[in-house]
Amino acid sequence: MVLLRILLLIPALQVVLASTSLTAAPPNSTTLAARIDDRLSARFKSEAIQPAPPANDAEFLRRVSLDITGRIPLAADVYEFLADESAGKRAKLIDRLLEEPRFAIHFSNLWRAELLPEATTNQQAAELERGFENWLIQRLRSRTSYDQLVRELLTVPLPASGQPAEPVLRDPARANPLAFLAAKDSKPENIAAAVTRSFLGIRLECAQCHDHPFAKWSQQQFWSQAAFFAGLEKRANGLLAPLTEAIDRREIASPKGGDKIAATFLVGSTPPWERQSPRVAYARWLTSPENPYFARAAVNRLWGQFFGVGIVDPVDDFHDNNPPSDPELLDELAAAFVASGFDLRFMIRSICQTETYQRTSARTHASQDESRLPARMVVKALTGEQFFDSFVVATGHRDAGEQGNARQQFLTRFALAGPISEPETSVQQALTLLNGRIVAQAAEAEQSPTLIAITQTPHLTTSMKIESLYVSTLSRLPSGPETEKLLAYVAAASPDRESERLGDIFWMLLNCVEFRVNH
Amino acid sequence: MLSELRLGRRTWLRSAAALAGAGAIPGWFGQLAARAAIDRARKRSCILLWMAGGPSQLDTFDLKPGTDNGGPFREIAAATAGMRISEHLPLLAQQSQHLAIVRSMQTKEGDHGRATAHLHTGYLPQASIRFPSLGALVSNELADAQADLPGFVSVGSQGAFTQPSVAAGFLGPRHAPLVVASDGIGRRGGGEGGTLRVEDLTSPSISEGRWQERLNLLHEMEQPFLASRPGPGTASHITAYDRAARLRSPAAMRAFDLTEESEAMRDRYGRGTFGQGCLLARRLVERGVPFVEVTLGGWDTHNNNFDQVRSLCGSLDPAWATLLADLSDRRLLDSTLVVWMGEFGRTPGINPRSGRDHYPVAWSMVLGGGGIRGGQVIGRTSASGMAVEDRPVHVPDLMATICVALGLDPRKQNVSNVARPIRLADPAGEPVKEVLA
Repeated sequence: MVLLRILLLIPALQVVLASTSLTAAPPNSTTLAARIDDRLSARFKSEAIQPAPPANDAEFLRRVSLDITGRIPLAADVYEFLADESAGKRAKLIDRLLEEPRFAIHFSNLWRAELLPEATTNQQAAELERGFENWLIQRLRSRTSYDQLVRELLTVPLPASGQPAEPVLRDPARANPLAFLAAKDSKPENIAAAVTRSFLGIRLECAQCHDHPFAKWSQQQFWSQAAFFAGLEKRANGLLAPLTEAIDRREIASPKGGDKIAATFLVGSTPPWERQSPRVAYARWLTSPENPYFARAAVNRLWGQFFGVGIVDPVDDFHDNNPPSDPELLDELAAAFVASGFDLRFMIRSICQTETYQRTSARTHASQDESRLPARMVVKALTGEQFFDSFVVATGHRDAGEQGNARQQFLTRFALAGPISEPETSVQQALTLLNGRIVAQAAEAEQSPTLIAITQTPHLTTSMKIESLYVSTLSRLPSGPETEKLLAYVAAASPDRESERLGDIFWMLLNCVEFRVNH
Repeated sequence: MLSELRLGRRTWLRSAAALAGAGAIPGWFGQLAARAAIDRARKRSCILLWMAGGPSQLDTFDLKPGTDNGGPFREIAAATAGMRISEHLPLLAQQSQHLAIVRSMQTKEGDHGRATAHLHTGYLPQASIRFPSLGALVSNELADAQADLPGFVSVGSQGAFTQPSVAAGFLGPRHAPLVVASDGIGRRGGGEGGTLRVEDLTSPSISEGRWQERLNLLHEMEQPFLASRPGPGTASHITAYDRAARLRSPAAMRAFDLTEESEAMRDRYGRGTFGQGCLLARRLVERGVPFVEVTLGGWDTHNNNFDQVRSLCGSLDPAWATLLADLSDRRLLDSTLVVWMGEFGRTPGINPRSGRDHYPVAWSMVLGGGGIRGGQVIGRTSASGMAVEDRPVHVPDLMATICVALGLDPRKQNVSNVARPIRLADPAGEPVKEVLA
């Protein structure tokens, strides 16, 4: 009897023990960063993998700016960071970026893409986008912990069946967590699939129609998750139908007919039912520190976002035939995340402070190709928003007239497709950058704010102008050979065509692969 | 470790392919494979006429006049004895010797997105595997890497699945479709389509000489970064820019210039986006493009089915009939497979809004041209149209048939993004031999 009790406690104990092994005080990001580096060092040694050297300041600045704030640094920031000689400047930069308003905007873009994928294909879901993003931004800015955020997302209060229904969309700009449920058409099976995929890293939807082909999940288990959301009632047609909830409903009709399936957690237990929506009990279980999947899936996602490849990859596909590249590391990160109170900024800070994150993306040794763990930084794709916002920084582009329309077209054209570790440029995108109006204007001396600024600033030598172009676009100084080649390019034309030649150089920088990817 | 696994599989697959080519595998498959090896010497093309939304079979190719489900349309006799199709496809009826109508398609997906993926890739959407669209598969097999024109062109595409990277799947951006869109109003085939063009193909604000100088500068200055970061990101970039630049060759630009055709020819096809898209498809096939997909949307007729189908047929009939006749006149039809289908059919039962809803249980598609024995009907549905009574055809069978018609080996494998090899056609399928020439 006592033995049984102890066995049941072991998972909880493991989490507690793991977290206390770091430090009794709240976890420290520098310490965690060092732990990560130590583990990976040991792995690389044992596998004879030679990791890449550290990235220089410019490479690091651009990368961390894109990863935390979703766009390249301003030219002034580049100069300042390069000139700064203080110790610990990289750590200070990370802290500064995490405090910028753009941090919340960037992460809300990423999470909206993950949690509201319907918005790209469904007109009504697209109307929910803005409100959802605004809610995410609000939560991120107010430093809501990750578990709290997920609970809020799933447990938006709804009126009971007999009451007037709650609209899912009032003002499109108003912060709106209901968007998540609404975009899934408030269908229990859609919600269950999305929740388990996004927050537990499990693709349960294969088990919607039959027992999962690879993993151990059964159709019964899928529907027993969905049952927690079976009380949602749409009061009209379409995604934007107002909602009520029958909070007494604890079971769902089985798709195979026969007995109804009761709401049961994935691990087999049921909650003590209370006089409130079953979603509350579900959210509490989902985000509990004892839930073996929740924290792991969360840190794995963050790892995948910053390193390009998750410790489990794809990040929403935890199953027995897809093991973590380092299970102990994943467990340790999960424990630290829990101990921090699910503090996102803490986790991001820890990741970005590692030597691993700060390695160059240049391939310096063949052994780096063999490693599932980051021996060099992976060249990552940019989201449409990251690319457009960086483009705006580089060129000073302003939407004349139809505000946001050029942005919307750009976002559709440059939307992220495929995994982040495999950046893609399509012929369409190449044509837009090579010949499209937006880049052409940027490269025309009369129309481009950046070019105007550079060509019209007095006392700038041609060499300094070229340098300004590089700092504005590639966020770095040009090398000696680069400057030489480009000076020769400018000199090859008559002096009255200098601004034309500078325009060509600007065009070249906006088209080169170094601008197109996150390295 | 993972890369070792991939290398091992690739080597194994190469030997398997060699084995197949040598006819070492017995039985009907061996014969097909041998024929495929021979046929590869003849360049083949495919034009997919994609009917987005799910066209109603009871109002096009499998009418049930005089029944409760029949609706108001009548049948007319096609040129081929015994074949009867909708009265609203009169020009096509004259081309029936080139058509093999399959009335016994039987699938299970009734969701637009999933069914579209299913019919395009030959596989049901599965976690993590990014199956390539038929166009990407054909481009991969038949495209000339040195050609200026791409291997896969998509005209008038709509919807999320037609995003180039989604269509290319694990075959990568090299086989992503070049999208040609209409810049006019009236995106449905019925409307007065604007000019079909490849967006941003040219940069009118700059001279050719200066454009070339810029491109040379780009190539030169990019080299160090490309060399230091080998991988999918840099490779994809180089490929895309190379292809974009090659589209500017005079020959490539002319391929897309419909004003080279006579007004009479343009009128015959129909001036809407779909009609002009079919004309463009003929031009591209003439110039060696192995796969062109032309989309006609608007078939999701839950409401007001009959008016809408009549209107759509008004665009479909002249375009498709002229395409077949035109290809035939130019001696291209023998080497061009023309596929007509949507993602599913529509309910035989008519709903209260005079509409028909999604129906994958029994529906029709049509094959014609190269590799196909035309002038016949395959399969049969019940009197009510509710079920397939004879010769059911599933998606894997259809894909295998298309492969063989194009001189391709349906069992050939490509390595997917999860290192699992995926055959051109799901091995559960068998080609519909009656359809093949």
